[in-house]
Amino acid sequence: MSDAILKVRDLKKHFGGKKPLFGKAPRAVRAVDGIDFDLRRGETLGLVGESGCGKTTLGRCIVRAHDPTGGEVIYDDPDRGPVDLAALSRKELQPYRLEVQMIFQDPIGSLNPRMTLLEIIGEPMIVNGLATGAEVKKRVGDLLVRVGLRREHMNRYPHAFSGGQRQRIGIARALALNPKVIVCDEPVSALDVSVQAQILNLLQDLQRDGDLTFLFIAHDLGVVEYVCNRVAVMYVGRIVELAETDDLFARPLHPYSEALLSAVPVPDPEVEGHPHLLQGDVANAVNLPPGCHFHPRCVYCVARCRTEDPELREVNGRKVRCHRAEELDLEGVAQEEAVHG
Amino acid sequence: MSEVRTDMPAEELLDEAEPRAESRAAIASPLRLMWWKFKRHRVALWSGYFLLFAYLVMATAGFWAPSTPNERSRQLYAPPQWVKIIGPEGELRRPFVYGYEMTRDLNTLRPVYTRDESQIYPIELFVRGAEYKLLGLIPWDVHLFGVSEGYIYLAGTDSFGRDMFTRLVYGARITLSVGLVSVMLSLVLGLIIGGVSGLYGGWVDSVTQRVIEAIIAIPTIPLWLGLAAAVPRDWPAVYQYFAILVVLSLISWTSTARVARGRFLALREQDFVTAARVYGAGTGRIIRKHLVPNIMSYVIVTITLAIPTIIIGETALSFLGVGLRAPTVSWGVLLQEAQKIQVIQFYPWLWIGPALCVIVIVLAFNFVGDGARDAADPFSK
Repeated sequence: MSDAILKVRDLKKHFGGKKPLFGKAPRAVRAVDGIDFDLRRGETLGLVGESGCGKTTLGRCIVRAHDPTGGEVIYDDPDRGPVDLAALSRKELQPYRLEVQMIFQDPIGSLNPRMTLLEIIGEPMIVNGLATGAEVKKRVGDLLVRVGLRREHMNRYPHAFSGGQRQRIGIARALALNPKVIVCDEPVSALDVSVQAQILNLLQDLQRDGDLTFLFIAHDLGVVEYVCNRVAVMYVGRIVELAETDDLFARPLHPYSEALLSAVPVPDPEVEGHPHLLQGDVANAVNLPPGCHFHPRCVYCVARCRTEDPELREVNGRKVRCHRAEELDLEGVAQEEAVHG
Repeated sequence: MSEVRTDMPAEELLDEAEPRAESRAAIASPLRLMWWKFKRHRVALWSGYFLLFAYLVMATAGFWAPSTPNERSRQLYAPPQWVKIIGPEGELRRPFVYGYEMTRDLNTLRPVYTRDESQIYPIELFVRGAEYKLLGLIPWDVHLFGVSEGYIYLAGTDSFGRDMFTRLVYGARITLSVGLVSVMLSLVLGLIIGGVSGLYGGWVDSVTQRVIEAIIAIPTIPLWLGLAAAVPRDWPAVYQYFAILVVLSLISWTSTARVARGRFLALREQDFVTAARVYGAGTGRIIRKHLVPNIMSYVIVTITLAIPTIIIGETALSFLGVGLRAPTVSWGVLLQEAQKIQVIQFYPWLWIGPALCVIVIVLAFNFVGDGARDAADPFSK
């Protein structure tokens, strides 16, 4: 929990909005619209939010699978000093590809069905000139063992493996370059609950042994609570709250966080659920409401919220984007914490 | 919630790491899986074997034909001879054919052939006869079957007394190779154009797709006719052959291009392509290692279904007289005879032979295409 390895500043990614050959330019989809956060060395930062709130786009901008529309992603390289990944050309970016890697959500679509595990996991090393020939084979074998598979599996194709095993293969591929930062894009949401736990434990073991920093994108708050040190809550392309996991779960400061937390099921038949169900639909990223983007669905909304867009500001050492953060007393999932001891 | 998960026993972790299928399917490549599925489609499999055989015959035409395509004889318009094993006295003999006795119909003056049971020509295997070049290179004179005296016309003769069976075998050489080469040409064109269209998208894609739609919108036969008519009549046969090849593939690349574009569009959004980009693979490498291997099964299906179209196209053009012309022998050229009413009425073997050949080959390709499509379909079980 020391210095920041990755600083994201005012990161934006808008889709479309280009003027077509004929007619007017349509309004852009503001998938990611000004994101700021620091990723601290060795931590796991959770990124939660509804479907379509821009979590995945943000992750992909950081690994430069998308080219951001604006903003900075400053990677603090221990040897070469800080560098803005978002501003580099594809060629200049190449050395930093080793440092930031990604794990994907879909265990089927993320592995090339025409390649053996050796090719899948070995290709990053070959492309980046880390190893050749027998050395690739040895390293791939080691990686397979590290993620809980067997050396003999390297000549098989992905179709011979189950979802959880495929996710392990994806993790091995991300590890092949020995990265410092891994963006995990919902790595367990496509898996069975029992397998989810195994993958999460694997990620935690890897983090412990390998000095890794995770940006963990998820929509399952149970998973986030289990693996993340800090959590950032996103709503239509922006962070609305950023806090330590325990603090956020105990007492959220933003009404949206409260609504998300209240939707977490409590595995106790004695506890009566009282979810703060959200009214209406998630805001349209093409045509955003004036003022606070969340105000049409917010039960604590006052006149100021309809006109004035709140800034992300510090409240009690936490960051929140709400005018009424100090006055509201929002409900977390403290009961559950108590049950857990 | 989290407690349940942390307590996951270590044994289960090991169990999960067991391979799902330890059989040979586990290490089989996707193409091999496709082949296994294809093999279960009996009709497609046997059609495939048949086509392989047909192409073997095509490559070594001289060996299979008892004669050479332009060798004339005195038997004009002779009907097909039947291969017999029962002699005139009812005795069993080795396979033979009867000779002909020719008379003329005094009203129409056309030749009438009757069987001459006194002339018996036993069929011999690996008989020496007219010289030809095996694979166009090695001079040789051994034929699979033939007669050492007399004549053998299993499919009759034409107006010059040339053996139709020989001409059909030699015709396969042109017709089948046109199909294959033309499809390869359109495959290359289609993959490149469709690939660029799908990968780059944007206005490149729009323009390409509109051009393809424009080409598809033109009725095929008139377009072929127009293009083929532009081929100079005084060109040598080889040039004409290639000109027709190009004409045929100039249109058929469109379907391949569409398939390729669609697949490229779908694939470039796949996570494994994103992953490759994230670990720094170049565009060329992504195309070579990630995209092309994944569209190969679709390409195989498209080309097996495209070859019959090309074969029919060549046949149609030659039949209409703007494709290949005599002395080149192709099934379409042979079918030109069917434009004459006397041939249709009195000498049906002149057109039934080539027509049957075209039908059988086209059907076989369609069966193989069907089988390949089923085998390549990821959703079929």
